[in-house]
Amino acid sequence: MTEYSEYNPIVTFVYFLAVAGLAMFIMNPVLLTVSLLGSVVCFCLKRNKGEKANVLIFVGLFVVLALINPLFHHNGVTVLFLINDNPITLEALAYGVTASVMVISVLFWFRSFSALMTGDKLLYVFGRFSPKFSLMISMALRYIPLFAERSKKIKDARRAMGAYEEENLWDSVKGGVKVFISLTGQSLEKGIITADSMEARGYGSGKRTFFSRYVFKKKDGIALVLILLLTAAVMAAKMAGVLDFSFYPAAEGELFSVWAVGAYACYGVLTLLPLMSEITEREKWRYLRSKI
Amino acid sequence: MVVIKNSVIRNIIRIGVPFLLMPAVVAVGVFVFDDKSYAFVSLAVALLSCVLFVAGFEKKRTGTGRMALVAVLVALTVTGRFIPYFKPVAALTVITGMYLGGEAGFLVGAMAAVISNFYFGQGPWTPFQMLAWGMIGFIAGLFCDILKRGKLPLIIYGVFSGIFFSFVMDVWTVLWYNRTFDGSMYLAAIVTALPYTVIYAVSNVFFLLILKKPIGGKLERICLKYRL
Repeated sequence: MTEYSEYNPIVTFVYFLAVAGLAMFIMNPVLLTVSLLGSVVCFCLKRNKGEKANVLIFVGLFVVLALINPLFHHNGVTVLFLINDNPITLEALAYGVTASVMVISVLFWFRSFSALMTGDKLLYVFGRFSPKFSLMISMALRYIPLFAERSKKIKDARRAMGAYEEENLWDSVKGGVKVFISLTGQSLEKGIITADSMEARGYGSGKRTFFSRYVFKKKDGIALVLILLLTAAVMAAKMAGVLDFSFYPAAEGELFSVWAVGAYACYGVLTLLPLMSEITEREKWRYLRSKI
Repeated sequence: MVVIKNSVIRNIIRIGVPFLLMPAVVAVGVFVFDDKSYAFVSLAVALLSCVLFVAGFEKKRTGTGRMALVAVLVALTVTGRFIPYFKPVAALTVITGMYLGGEAGFLVGAMAAVISNFYFGQGPWTPFQMLAWGMIGFIAGLFCDILKRGKLPLIIYGVFSGIFFSFVMDVWTVLWYNRTFDGSMYLAAIVTALPYTVIYAVSNVFFLLILKKPIGGKLERICLKYRL
């Protein structure tokens, strides 16, 4: 096992698709709680320093989302209290909490996804289906830092010409628009030069070949099979109706039947795969170091 | 990278996947998940319509110069999204659609959504943003003659595209949270998003009016100069 960010991008992509997809489309309170825990653990494994503010926003969002549903839906048998003659029911509140657990856990999964699946990895996954589209995406990805550089040059040149920006908003907007327009003109011309150079080097004359530093190894295959098996198990449980749970009019459905617990376990293992690979890797490293 | 070498198989995948998968996905959404899982179905359909479009683009022979221009415009649009509050994303997409055609407009809108979300956060909303911005660019390409004529059509289209984007995204918000479509919740979502809708519409009109002449002129000139 390797550190989980070092797997082949296909494995990473399928993993997040499975783990977030199952959470998004199976409305089962226990399963979603497992998903939330797993997503937070995964998020903490690769945490950036500036993410604390985001977590606070997520907490606020959780509360708001949980409270929205009972204000809009009044079906449910257990009435808690009345607001303007509209009953606020326990069932609607429970649904709201469950839905917001779902939303927040998916947000956390996608945070980790964004941190792991960088542009080049996503291109590796999708490039084979659409060489042209992915070529344009990789060109655009390269242009973004390049444009930052070029616009700084244009700004400096303007300053040298005496076009100082005043400290008021309108002036800085006007200056920004001017820089943007000349950046556009320059970059379009240079883009055509890039295209000419590509054609001169034989782009489009034969089959496309790709460079990539990712290799599909045996351990990637093992991880992929494991992910697919666990996902299939949870899907099967869903299709068999084991995970069904309905909120209205009264909460209905057995949450802890034997099969359901099995499905939760499968999903739990799935959500903890990053943690497990991280721990095995760390232990292996410690063991190797202690031998030296 | 593994490329599917056999061109016949590649074409079957390209054409067959969207056409077969779309109904299949609807069927899966109805039978496997609850019969009310519109969220799943809508997400899959949004994703697949983007796939369908890219598949069509892939089959065409597009000049390298045109592709480079689209890549430049995508990068410009992405950098534009870093401006706080007033973002020229839709305006640049519309201008591309007007001067380079609807297909280029769709590509710029859709790719700008994917790439800028590397910075702003990917999520299940990405396909909807791709579709919404892409459609804004595509429709601009269809009506390019009217839009080029004067300021009034441009202003109307800017306002329309701001409202269109907001409404499409709200559909997804409601479906995601509520699973089924709920009129009153949709109304509430639209009302809470109203300030953003206004900002979208205002910034679209503002940037369309400012950028149409310089950037549109540059695009026209470059197409003329290099015979694209």
